[in-house]
Amino acid sequence: MRQRQGYGRFKAAWSTYRNHCLFGQVVIDRFAMWAGKRFQVEVEGSDHFNNLVGKKEGFIQMSAHIGNYELAGYTLCSDRKQFNALVYGGEKPSVVANRQKMFAANNINMIAVSPDMRHLFEINSALATGQIVSLPADRLLGSDKSIEADFLGAKALFPYGPFSIATMRSLEVIAVNVVKTGTKKYKIIITPLRYDTGAPRREQVIQLNTAFVSELERVVKMYPTQWYNFYEFWK
Amino acid sequence: MEEIISQLKVKIIEALNLEEMTPESIDATTPLFGEEGLGLDSIDALEIIVLLEKNYGIRLANAAEGKKVFTNIESIARYVSEHRTK
Repeated sequence: MRQRQGYGRFKAAWSTYRNHCLFGQVVIDRFAMWAGKRFQVEVEGSDHFNNLVGKKEGFIQMSAHIGNYELAGYTLCSDRKQFNALVYGGEKPSVVANRQKMFAANNINMIAVSPDMRHLFEINSALATGQIVSLPADRLLGSDKSIEADFLGAKALFPYGPFSIATMRSLEVIAVNVVKTGTKKYKIIITPLRYDTGAPRREQVIQLNTAFVSELERVVKMYPTQWYNFYEFWK
Repeated sequence: MEEIISQLKVKIIEALNLEEMTPESIDATTPLFGEEGLGLDSIDALEIIVLLEKNYGIRLANAAEGKKVFTNIESIARYVSEHRTK
């Protein structure tokens, strides 16, 4: 990250410290949210979300490991469409069941990645019935298939799945990033991701990935200390 | 049944972008998943689910049933011939 942002050693060390402090705060905020605390949330681009919710077709929300995405689930609610979030399947069944119970009130359903591919049938049913499906698109999850893309000036691997799933049904896609802007404040940034549904499938997948990566770069450059991928991201 | 198998082979090769394969090179009884078979993965499975819906009007919603259906191309063809709505 230091090389990618062109930081000197001191700035990199300070940013890493800030990064860890903010991550700690976000984790605490998450528990506070579960306990019922609400934050001041500014939504940038809510028209895009409202427009898609008003349509008959389902759509995809692509997320990244920035800020506190879980807050989007509480804020971008709709009575018309259920919000289905694909999540890591390694958590204890009791933890999943408790979170599921809390989310149910907000019309949120969690789909855990499962070795028997159960999650794919759930994703498919949700999209076929016009619901919202949220997919993390900056980390390989479930499938090893990947797309290599330039991210902040170096090659990185992004999952093939989310971009493929969206283009299978020519679905509309929005990128949703949630960043912390103050002690009790968050900002949700919603950006439509465009691609040419008339192009060959492989080309559609690449176009959509390029749009996602470009938006991710924009947000990471604005909030570099809220990027929470703690592993060797670049190849 | 043979006709559906031939159709499925062509459609699966196209949808999954299996450029190195031809319909003739795929045995209808070869397992779709795992190293001993065609080596398809979960995203490919979803691709086939959508393919069956678009081409044959089949909505496969049950994972346990899906697992049996997706054993090989022959089992998919059998399911299509019994459940197709178009």
